[in-house]
Amino acid sequence: MLYDISLKITYSYEIPVSGGRHIVRVLPLSLPSRQRLVAGTVTCTPVPEERTDMLDFFQNPSTSILFRKLHDELIIHMKARVQLEAAMPTADFSPDLAAFPAEIGAVWSLDPGSPHHFLATSPRLAEDPTIAAYARGMVKPGMTVREIAGLMCERIYKDFTYDPKATSVDSTPIEAFRLKKGVCQDFAHIMIVALRALGIPAGYVSGFLRTLPPPGKERLEGADAMHAWVRVWCGKMLGWVELDPTNNVPAGTDHIVVGHGRDYSDVAPVIGVLKSYGSHKTDQAVDVVPVS
Amino acid sequence: MTQKPTAGTIKGEAIKAGLAGTAAGIPKRTGNPVADYRALPGIADEMVDAQGNVRPVWQHLVSAIGRMDEAELANRFARADRYLRDAGVFYRAYGTKENSERSWPLSHIPVLIAEREWEELSLGLIQRADLLERIAADIYGPNTLVNEGFLPPALVAGNTEFLRPMVGVQPADGNFLHFVSFEIGRGPDGNWWVLADRTEAPSGAGFALENRVATTRAFSDIYAETHVHRLARFFVAFRDALQMRKRSPDDRIAVLTPGLANETYFEHAYIARYLGFMLLEGEDLTVVDGRVMVRTVAGLKPIGILWRRLDSSFADPLELDQRSHIGTPGLLAALRAGTVSIVNALGSGILETRAFLAFMPTICHHLLGEDLLLPSIATWWCGQKPEREQVARNIEKMVIGPAYSTRPFFDDNGRSVLGSSMRENAKLSIRDWLANDGQKLVGQEVVTLSTTPAWVDGKLTPRPMSLRVYLARTRNGWQVMPGGFARISSGADAAAIAMQAGGSAADVWIVSDRPVERTTLLTSDETFIRTMPGSLPSRAADNLFWLGRYIERSEGALRILRAWHGRFAENANSEMPLLKDVSEYLKVLDIDSAQPVPDSLVANIDSALYSASNIRDRFSADGWLALNDLSKTVRKFRATVEAGDDATHAMTILLRKLAGFAGLVHENMYRFTGWRFLSIGRYLERGMHMTRLLGHMSGRDAPDGALDMLLEIGDSVMTHRRRYNVNTAPLTVTDLLALDPLNPRSILYQLNEIRAEVEQLPNAYQNGQMSPFYREAVRLHSGLAVMTPEGMTSEVYEHLEKEMERFSDILAQTYLS
Repeated sequence: MLYDISLKITYSYEIPVSGGRHIVRVLPLSLPSRQRLVAGTVTCTPVPEERTDMLDFFQNPSTSILFRKLHDELIIHMKARVQLEAAMPTADFSPDLAAFPAEIGAVWSLDPGSPHHFLATSPRLAEDPTIAAYARGMVKPGMTVREIAGLMCERIYKDFTYDPKATSVDSTPIEAFRLKKGVCQDFAHIMIVALRALGIPAGYVSGFLRTLPPPGKERLEGADAMHAWVRVWCGKMLGWVELDPTNNVPAGTDHIVVGHGRDYSDVAPVIGVLKSYGSHKTDQAVDVVPVS
Repeated sequence: MTQKPTAGTIKGEAIKAGLAGTAAGIPKRTGNPVADYRALPGIADEMVDAQGNVRPVWQHLVSAIGRMDEAELANRFARADRYLRDAGVFYRAYGTKENSERSWPLSHIPVLIAEREWEELSLGLIQRADLLERIAADIYGPNTLVNEGFLPPALVAGNTEFLRPMVGVQPADGNFLHFVSFEIGRGPDGNWWVLADRTEAPSGAGFALENRVATTRAFSDIYAETHVHRLARFFVAFRDALQMRKRSPDDRIAVLTPGLANETYFEHAYIARYLGFMLLEGEDLTVVDGRVMVRTVAGLKPIGILWRRLDSSFADPLELDQRSHIGTPGLLAALRAGTVSIVNALGSGILETRAFLAFMPTICHHLLGEDLLLPSIATWWCGQKPEREQVARNIEKMVIGPAYSTRPFFDDNGRSVLGSSMRENAKLSIRDWLANDGQKLVGQEVVTLSTTPAWVDGKLTPRPMSLRVYLARTRNGWQVMPGGFARISSGADAAAIAMQAGGSAADVWIVSDRPVERTTLLTSDETFIRTMPGSLPSRAADNLFWLGRYIERSEGALRILRAWHGRFAENANSEMPLLKDVSEYLKVLDIDSAQPVPDSLVANIDSALYSASNIRDRFSADGWLALNDLSKTVRKFRATVEAGDDATHAMTILLRKLAGFAGLVHENMYRFTGWRFLSIGRYLERGMHMTRLLGHMSGRDAPDGALDMLLEIGDSVMTHRRRYNVNTAPLTVTDLLALDPLNPRSILYQLNEIRAEVEQLPNAYQNGQMSPFYREAVRLHSGLAVMTPEGMTSEVYEHLEKEMERFSDILAQTYLS
């Protein structure tokens, strides 16, 4: 699949601001045999006084921008063409939980893709006994790690209701867990905490999802939104497997990857620090247009 | 991958039992305070050997103490305590209410160590510092230790001290570590062990200096007769090394502190003042084009080296802990650009991880090709099966604690548990516990710390101690501070060593057989250059300005209140028109005249104290003590003082104390930019105070006696009598208090002084022309200078007050943000 993707994030400040410094992570990744960034740009309005593009630890393209002059609006615009490849179906080569620690232990590496980064707590995801008990309740003897991950994805899909009003970007997994409601970010976070409680390395994936218009209707421009799902390390043979608990599907050619991290804080599209005396409004518009 | 267990260790309880047995039955006082001193069975003691003989280095001190009677010793200890009090040495206690500064718990008897033993110990410490540097470079670099199996990846990846954004960032000057510290202890066999590595932001070196000064106050004669290595040389070498590392002469060196709320803020201020570095907080800094700059009143100035005393993860909210409010956004960008050195590198804290101790011997072989000279306390990481088994089998001799902890087991708020203290039924599940949570746990062999004499209840008593030692990277490699910081347990149990648990601190004397070289940073300097003080950070200027304003505001209130109570004492009628009128006036200023010592007066003095505490590095200890005294006195008065005569008297005392503080500042503060901001704050507040008063009380409709009261508040009664051959009249009072350029209480005098100070501020002239701010100061002054007493109507005063407020705002915009 080939997509043209556009993301426009607009900040409107009630009182003009200056001195803002931000890190932007919005450009899709290039991942061997998964997706290829054919072309992509990130532009800002106004033009920042300083700008640096780099790869962060998890190899996400990130753009650091600084504004010295007063401005009352900031627009970050990402445009990209991305080629996605369908995954080859593979058999479940993953071990069961008893054999799993040894398999993780055999990975003597701290490369960005090493499972060791995704086992411990992370800035947004503390251990939680309630979610851990929820996770343990699913495991039956003899289940493989891949089976556990698949089951967990399904259970979260069934046990929770999608409700954008129930939680906010700052909600913790346990808040969403208690409400049994939330959005993709909450479901991904809950699933990661649950998997880690079982000793299964799990990470956060931010990206775009191609959404199909309702039958008989035109695809609406800007109707799509940024999405989040989970990747699970299923052992040496199978490696990372991407699962989307919001839709109970493995991430495939509808899922365009933007960032890999331990949780939302590693891949937030915009992290910013600025001195401001007023409030601000944010608007996000996403278009994912299949080209062929 | 573990260490050899030591022979002959004893469990924690044994110490308690042993001491209880010794302490009982000894009379409270004997003729000789040292004669009864005995080492505890099976435990090494610093002062006496196993046979009970005093070690050679201690003999002089011990026999001298033996000759002193109790009164003399008490006298000597009091001298040390008085020094610490006068110097304002304190630390901040956790968990109590804000601003709880505790006086420094000095254990007056120093710990003495022979030079020869120290030199041998130093070899081990230096090797260890080198080793830690190599480990840091590997973890944040090529990662061979993990890839080749010397360090389990989980201990790095699961570690909150591992800062991923720092991976691949080379330190600008090539080194990760510049100033490290080790917590060491002596085992029963007499050998030293490393209990913990301190690489993140080691504290206590400044306190070691203060311990030294205080202890020598108590034992000045003995110190002079003993060949004790001096500490100053160590600091000089480190300061010089940092100076050498600057890439440009314009670069500044600063101590980066988390701020006032930190438990060792005093030390940050002390070290900065002692070494002549700026003391900055994260918000003082900004990053421009990849360079770290400090906001000063003269604009942005480059920072070359930051001696960091705040935790790495708080240093940059953009790329590290996003919740940090004390960091500098963009700091990591500057590090990547290689324009600033941070001492120690961000992320160095990972080296403190307790579980790392288990891997040090093999890593030392791998990286240095040497044996580890100085052993760490025997440690097993339970993330590996054979080690887990080892811990489970020897659980009675173990303490189990968090693997990722960066604190030694006896000082981690009870998060570590003694294996022997677990109940029988709990022991059954120990294997399960270790198996389930193994990655997060370490077992450490319980090591019994040596004891050193502490003065308890009139006699020397053996108390467990650990030593904090410091190493600095200098031009000639690592240098060990000849001395350190001994932490003495408050009880027989080593777990009470932490100061938060009531432990105390003692000086450490490294004693030579030969006379030692004397250097003190405070009196002489090998590299003497006269430099002007560096640019004043804007935040410091802001605090100085407001200190000036609060001090003057307090004085203004005190003067009015004293005049009010003086009249009230004569009439005992607060309803008389003048008193009522002044009460109304005070109400507008939020001062309640019904309270003899109004709450808002206390609040003003507290605000002054708070402003001053933010800039302690710029204050003499005397000034600080004077301000503290003022704050204490006003609180005491609030509780006891009654209206009328009593209050008049109290206000007089407070005014005198305030004048005392102002005098100290006036006499002792260097006449540079900082002084100017303080002065402008005072002049401006005094000018506003007088403007407001005159506007209210000099009109024709003012109540009887208002003019005389004005003169009294304005401290101008005598002058008025001398200058004007008439009774008080509105015009003469206005002339004297508003327009007389020679009266230090008049409005015009304040504006004149402000104008003169502003002219001396940085950037007062730009390209040979007056800056907009200086122009404001001139305008303000000239506007009043051309006035006559007749023209000073209440509208004019009102307008003038607004102008002064506006001037304060412009000053803030120009210099303080």
